[in-house]
Amino acid sequence: MILGQLLAVLIILIPGAAGILYRTGIKQASIIGGSVDLAIAGIMYFIRPQVGFFFIQNSTMVFIVMVLAVYLLSTVYSTRYLKGVEVMGISEPTYYLLLNLFTVSMLFSLEVNNYGLMWVGIEATTISSALLLITEKTETSLEATWRYIVIVSAGVTFAFISIILIYYILGTLSVSAAIASHVHSRIMVLAVSLALIGFGTKVGVFPVHTWLPDAHSEAPSPVSAMFSGVLLPTALYVLYRVYEIEPVRDLYVWFAVLSIVAASIFLGYQVRYKRMFAYSTMENMNLALLGIAAGGPLGITGALLLLLSHSFGKAGAFYSSGNVLRFTGKKKIAEISGMGTSMPYTSASLLMSSLAVTGAPPFGTFFGEFLILADILSLHMYAQFIIVIISLAAAFISMNYNVTGMIFSGNQPNVERDRLMPALSVLSAILPLFIGIFYLVVYIEIL
Amino acid sequence: MNSVDTVVYLISSLIAISAFYIQGQEFIVSMIRGQSVQSVLIAVVAFIIGWQERSYDFFILGALIIVLRAFLVNYFLQKRIPKEKVYLYERKVSLSYLFLLDLIFIVISVFIIYSIAFSGIVLHSFLGNSGNSAVLVFPLTLFFQGLFLIASRRTTFTQIIGYVEEENSLVLFAMFLLPIPIIIEASVFLDVLALVVISSIVVLEKFTHEPVEELRG
Repeated sequence: MILGQLLAVLIILIPGAAGILYRTGIKQASIIGGSVDLAIAGIMYFIRPQVGFFFIQNSTMVFIVMVLAVYLLSTVYSTRYLKGVEVMGISEPTYYLLLNLFTVSMLFSLEVNNYGLMWVGIEATTISSALLLITEKTETSLEATWRYIVIVSAGVTFAFISIILIYYILGTLSVSAAIASHVHSRIMVLAVSLALIGFGTKVGVFPVHTWLPDAHSEAPSPVSAMFSGVLLPTALYVLYRVYEIEPVRDLYVWFAVLSIVAASIFLGYQVRYKRMFAYSTMENMNLALLGIAAGGPLGITGALLLLLSHSFGKAGAFYSSGNVLRFTGKKKIAEISGMGTSMPYTSASLLMSSLAVTGAPPFGTFFGEFLILADILSLHMYAQFIIVIISLAAAFISMNYNVTGMIFSGNQPNVERDRLMPALSVLSAILPLFIGIFYLVVYIEIL
Repeated sequence: MNSVDTVVYLISSLIAISAFYIQGQEFIVSMIRGQSVQSVLIAVVAFIIGWQERSYDFFILGALIIVLRAFLVNYFLQKRIPKEKVYLYERKVSLSYLFLLDLIFIVISVFIIYSIAFSGIVLHSFLGNSGNSAVLVFPLTLFFQGLFLIASRRTTFTQIIGYVEEENSLVLFAMFLLPIPIIIEASVFLDVLALVVISSIVVLEKFTHEPVEELRG
């Protein structure tokens, strides 16, 4: 339908169009644009574009809503967060412009029906987001920015080889045509395997994940929330689209399992809370990859549920981290104590988001993990199941131990000077809870 | 193998040699110019294939390579080289040791990857008439050489050039195998150019890269 095509185009263009007001009111225009875009996404759920330049399925809609919601939250959060930045590496309007272009490139990658353009979109996310990392300019953030650029770009070139090979075999780069082709060949297996290294670099697959903790920990908190909550899932979506052509299940499953193990180990000895959350992102993304690789209805539903809940939960975790950093100026876990009294709202959001991203019931992430693991069991992958369960337990204990230590140890005077920042972190942290309860209600109704 | 095939093989060899030349340089400006020469050679290959295959797409591709890679990337990078003498070349680089390591890495990785994955592939262009795909060894060499350059050096400039070299290898690879639609290729070129521009902004702030305590673990 023409209207569907128009809606798809508008969704991509609106965040970018806010850039027209670069000198006068880009901040306000971004917030209004984000809200309008979310409303348009709601309409597009019912009026989809025909398969052609765009390829938008139900699963795509979940990702689009996720990107727009976290973008809107991050934009509003940024309005207060940026006020406390001492040395700005980029100007405030440039920050919003780049944030908008970053969102545009993610939405473009999600909507297009072409592997080549998906690659272009993913590369554009690196271009648009790299300078956002130096918003709070320090030697460390500059180094993290450079590592992000060089590791991700070098890694993503592997994905381009995979795209060349797909084109060589199928003679088309259309996603819908490729998925429907059912062509099996040795070269296609190679192409899908190379995509795991290429797009996997952006997803955070071990051992090509090394940019992830650096970028997440050094970016300003609203940008970290977008990285963790929506950038990595967007890359995972593109990887899923490649995987659909020729599922190389064992390779993907084992890499996902290995990455979950690595993430839970790294997570255990982190001394800085933002790095700890970064490794939690790596764990969750690979869990979703595991669900996608398993490929059954349970696995796919579980992955979508996990990613949706995680996006808000992790945004909540990074907004809470931003509050802690802004109100105390401290980055290390051991330096923070008595948050329960010094920052009551932030500590509530931090605890909730920590429980959400580690898969505690009844958060949506719990049901997502449950479905993924059920799918793994149905495939008789017992060894993988046991390894993942142990890793998840280890991550759950170490992360919640650190977070409860920050909140419940000692008493400190109240330093929560701002209302909006804690309110946004509580809102983000509570959404996975609603998603979990909603899923449970729907599930019981179906039964 | 006919004479045109031979010319393509010869130019491809020069492209691989240009990659080794870049690896052997200490001076930033020599590396940037080496990259430009490499891009021009790739454009020449595009023109030859376009002439042989009677395809305008290859001519457009060749023109894009010359304008965007050989000229604009070179321009943006050279413009960013700081004037101070200490920034004109990369210090503390053991060139002979790295070169030896590089050769071992390239020979092993190209041999393994080519024999496992690409030896049985059929090329769609006139280069496939001889029945073998040995010409793919050149883009593979360039690709791994680019990766090695990124991994083995510490300056921002060298790592950008390593990345551009990797992208050059992909263009060459696609030209030999089956060129992807020119509109996609053009978008990729622009993406890479934008990334070089963004990277060159970082150059101004951070010339070299060493381990940072806060980013450990």
